[in-house]
Amino acid sequence: MSKHASQRCILTANRLTDGTAVFLDFEGAWSESIVEAVVAHSPDEVRALEDRAAYDAAHNLVVEPYLVEIREVAGHLEPIRYRERVRAGGPTILGDVPGYTQPFPSPLAREEREPFIRAA
Amino acid sequence: MYRYDEFDVEFVRQRVAQFRDQVDRRLAGELTEDEFKPLRLMNGVYLQLHAYMLRIAVPYGTLSSRQMRKLAHIARTYDRGTGHFTTRQNLQFNWPKLSDIPAILDELADVEMHAIQTSGNCIRNVTADHFAGATADEVADPRPYAEIIRQWSSLHPEFSFLPRKFKVAVIGSDRDRAAMQLHDIGLHLKRLADGRLGFAVFVGGGMGRTPFIAKKIRDELPQADLLSYLEAILRVYNLQGRRDNKYKARIKILVHEIGADAFRAQVEAEWLRIREGALKLPEAEIKRIDAYFAPPAFDRRPTRIALRAPDRPFDRWVTRNTHTHKQPGYVIVTISLKPIGGIPGDASADQMDAVADLAEQYSFDEVRVTHEQNLVLPHVRIEDLRAVYDRLKAIGLAEANVGLATDIIACPGLDYCALANARSIPIAQRISDRLSKRQDQIGDLKIKISGCINACGHHHVGHIGILGVEKRGEEHYQLLLGGSGAEDAALALIAGPGFGPDGIVDAVETIVDTYLKLRRSPDEPFLAAYGRLGAAPFKEALYAAA
Repeated sequence: MSKHASQRCILTANRLTDGTAVFLDFEGAWSESIVEAVVAHSPDEVRALEDRAAYDAAHNLVVEPYLVEIREVAGHLEPIRYRERVRAGGPTILGDVPGYTQPFPSPLAREEREPFIRAA
Repeated sequence: MYRYDEFDVEFVRQRVAQFRDQVDRRLAGELTEDEFKPLRLMNGVYLQLHAYMLRIAVPYGTLSSRQMRKLAHIARTYDRGTGHFTTRQNLQFNWPKLSDIPAILDELADVEMHAIQTSGNCIRNVTADHFAGATADEVADPRPYAEIIRQWSSLHPEFSFLPRKFKVAVIGSDRDRAAMQLHDIGLHLKRLADGRLGFAVFVGGGMGRTPFIAKKIRDELPQADLLSYLEAILRVYNLQGRRDNKYKARIKILVHEIGADAFRAQVEAEWLRIREGALKLPEAEIKRIDAYFAPPAFDRRPTRIALRAPDRPFDRWVTRNTHTHKQPGYVIVTISLKPIGGIPGDASADQMDAVADLAEQYSFDEVRVTHEQNLVLPHVRIEDLRAVYDRLKAIGLAEANVGLATDIIACPGLDYCALANARSIPIAQRISDRLSKRQDQIGDLKIKISGCINACGHHHVGHIGILGVEKRGEEHYQLLLGGSGAEDAALALIAGPGFGPDGIVDAVETIVDTYLKLRRSPDEPFLAAYGRLGAAPFKEALYAAA
């Protein structure tokens, strides 16, 4: 994960029990909302996230943890890759899924996207 | 119709119990993810972008009403009220909890279904012509042979850890509705020179990052030799397929690298060795399996009403969504899962229940799933068409667009899939919205969209294919032209530089406008016009202004 050392990063994974995408928050809990994600700004902080990823995966809290690079856009932080923005926001087409019964908390609307992360 | 025998019933129950224990151990921390992942994949459980996904096998795309109702029940009880029919005639649930999956598998076992071999480097669910056993243009029903292959390949000890996944398709007609030539093995059931039934055998087709049309390696294979020949193919592949590089591990790469003639020679040599062994198919066994697929008790009274009616929407639907049946007085009905602006292949639990009711009442209890992500009622009396149409209309599934520009194949793409680089579904929705008013004027047109190079959306064989890629962190789409997954199988070629999410919809419309301008008449379909004109005028229209 050393390639992330010079980037601002957050830590994400899928929750073991239901596979939901989760993000490590500033209190050390796994949150479903990327808005609450804790941001690593330095190589030391990146290493701390890596250590936490290995620990929580080994203790079966989460599956397949990895770091996501983020950037600042108009005073807010968002993942650089579009893939990660969709992953954080949920499917962009849920409003059109026939019979869909459980609203997914999606900050990523189909046409207008809200910022994901408060500037740290 | 297909049904489990006693072995299947016991085996599937044992497998569910085994997986329940594995899930419990995983949740209790006794298994690591590295240990658990291959076990869950063997049971069809993927970890996708937002949740787990469960892929359920629908052997050769055939479902009973009871099975369809069970899928609806699972959608309501364990998922979020919906299911997604795939390009491999399977069904996927996008939101199951890991802890619920053993219960789901138990429910599936109640109706003789499972998720075994829907993932992993094994022989996957065998697909077939979705009109099998009903269409007037087939020499025989290919599903008994698909079932024989299913029984042979289920938990085959020698072929459970192949170099890569392995897909088999079977058709029984000169019309290829199953993309047979894009499979690892394609089997064309036909009359041999001596008048008996047998197969032409194709090997090494596939899409993905390196697409190939399959090569015919045997023109005439007697049906008694089906399994020994398949075993010989698999043995050559299992021994020589590359395990050092997953991108070169499919049989298509092996066939391409050593050549079809050399591959055939090795297969024939192995086949000679095992041909007269235990895999010889006895005539009685073929007849026994064949009996599961006996034609239903058709009503042979003359049809009392005319097919056409002055009702224009109904007439359009009959024209586009029905196909000639082998039994006079009946037709095959395709139920489009492509409402205008909708999500290709999705069906709500209520819609699944309603389709099950229709199948029970009007189609001898049978439903089919097509690789083009639609459903089929295979045996509908002509005089029942109006009632079927009205019921479909009431549940939003009466779109008269089968084979038209809005009947789009699209993979789940980046909205769900962990492998995807770009979204497919919203592009399909916007093209559908854009072209819907002109689709009758455009005529037959197959648009196929994949969200990554793995090509689950069959973009390589679209008349118009779209491939989503990632470019500088954003979605980007390549446009391909001139492909076909039918009997005239051909790989589409990239038209030129790609487009952004908005530009790709405009680009498709530009291609359509160019076709409409240049076609000789409305009777010249897109693919014929493209073949006559070549790519040049379409590229000119796309890129001249750039």
